[in-house]
Amino acid sequence: MIEALVGLGVMMLLAFVRIPIALAMGIVGIVGYAYMRDWNWAVAFATAQTKIYETGRNYTLSVVPLFILMGSFVTRAGMSQELFRAAYAFIGHLRGGLAMATVMACAGFGAICGSSIATAATMAKVAYPSMKKLGYADYLSTGSIAAGGTLGILIPPSTIMVIYGIITETNIGKLFAAGILPGILATFLLCVAVAWVTWRDPEAGPRGERASWGERWSAFKGVWAVVALFALVMGGIYFGVFTATEGAAIGATGAMFFALARRVLTWKSLYASLVESARTTSMLFMILIGALIFAEFVNITSMPGDLTKFVSRFELHPIVVVAAIMVIYVILGTAMEELSMILLTLPVFFPIIVHLGFDPIWFGILIVVVVEIGLISPPVGMNLFVLSTLIPEVPTRTVFRGVIPFVIVDIIRLAILVAFPAISLYLPSLMK
Amino acid sequence: MTAPERPWERRFDAALGFAASVILFALMIVTFVDVLGRYLFNHPLRGAFEGTELMLLVLIFAGLPLVSHADEHVTMDFIDHMLGARGRAVVVRLAHLACALTFLGLAWLIWLKAGKISAYGDTTDVLRIAIAPFVYFMTLMIALSGLIHAWKMFAPGSPSSGAGAPTT
Repeated sequence: MIEALVGLGVMMLLAFVRIPIALAMGIVGIVGYAYMRDWNWAVAFATAQTKIYETGRNYTLSVVPLFILMGSFVTRAGMSQELFRAAYAFIGHLRGGLAMATVMACAGFGAICGSSIATAATMAKVAYPSMKKLGYADYLSTGSIAAGGTLGILIPPSTIMVIYGIITETNIGKLFAAGILPGILATFLLCVAVAWVTWRDPEAGPRGERASWGERWSAFKGVWAVVALFALVMGGIYFGVFTATEGAAIGATGAMFFALARRVLTWKSLYASLVESARTTSMLFMILIGALIFAEFVNITSMPGDLTKFVSRFELHPIVVVAAIMVIYVILGTAMEELSMILLTLPVFFPIIVHLGFDPIWFGILIVVVVEIGLISPPVGMNLFVLSTLIPEVPTRTVFRGVIPFVIVDIIRLAILVAFPAISLYLPSLMK
Repeated sequence: MTAPERPWERRFDAALGFAASVILFALMIVTFVDVLGRYLFNHPLRGAFEGTELMLLVLIFAGLPLVSHADEHVTMDFIDHMLGARGRAVVVRLAHLACALTFLGLAWLIWLKAGKISAYGDTTDVLRIAIAPFVYFMTLMIALSGLIHAWKMFAPGSPSSGAGAPTT
């Protein structure tokens, strides 16, 4: 137990002095492993070699770059524009309707893109100018974009689900299916938060013009490409026509064709998409490899076993344990980079969850939700930084203030998902 | 924030970026054609599986020097707010030293691994592609990343303090 805690402490210390998190995890993992084997460096080195080589050469993992590439193509294809227009045509005339339309467009975009940051970034470009023009308060517009963006990882496809699935050996297709109903719930609750904000401060979100049914219909037709792509990829994975990896390749190719058909994809932007995705892939894999080496070390310490014993000894109700883990995540998420937080803690928490008899798919959805909350909880929330960078005229303080109501409904949603596992597990239970 | 790029830096970035892009594109097309072939022509692409594995390996490690060069590794930057410009410069340079040493150490480990694979003459199952060259490529790319960090440690100008690119 002590060894693992010291290891964790040293790792945090290294990360604190600006050593990249991937390397900090790798260094501590190798040294810790050698220590646990009475300073037998040969086994520690052999473990590191195997992890680096086998993680790089792993067919299933090719799902990661392919979904990243798909996200990059759909972002460039400008599909966010049509989604926003369609959502606006239907609910723009409500009080706060534009912010709700933003949330819904984010949900739609999340259905073809697996990244929250990409979703928030692309929506910031589309939705912020419209909200500004209509006189929306900056705190509401930035808050709704930041929070709506997090739907990108909850509604499949999702990079976080892919990584969780790989680390815990959980079926990625089932995780994707599990994200759909919680995604709808999340969209609804975020709209409730918008309604609440505009109820308290009606000036923040004035009504837009009501669109005619003809306009609505034409705007709705504009989103067919998004619907088609989602149905093709998720339908194929859900009904077992192809694996998640194959679905990712089909999605990426399909997104490329859509972008080509719209004449937005030039050689230059195709190349930019590829390079950008390649770099993101490389960076993600470094973290993944670092975390896997670190996990090897944690697994041979007594920590996972000790914690499981601790939980059994006190005869805590299983739900209390899950709730405690969620509280830890929400607190850590305010200050840590979310992916590293998950990768570092999973080797410790996951065995407890399995031991208590919970469904790994359900826990995966909870993990995604705590990551979502972490992405928008100040002071360290990636989505907030993205918005501050893209919309520099809005002070960071305002962005932080605007997101608070959304963080609150997200925590309520987390509680609902903990209390009713069926919301997550119903759809995957229908898969064969 | 980074020091201005020199022409050789741009060329080097472009070369690796191009290689990584071609591989990623091929990865997408190979998997796509494999599925299409399986359903439409009842004939999956021969060796698609192992081709994908090797391409992924090349993709990840070709991208590594690019990530190091652009300071895109995910890094915590709390300390930046606590230190002055001088202190920050010292910390950043020391972190680069640690990265350089770690990457060079890892390169050495993978070099040993490559030697073993080469000695056994390992090949893939279907297409009989020799694996060793790919592992030597990994070695080269990891070592190159180490050298980039070593160079950044001494590079003139204010050291960049990229907080890393988004991962989620």
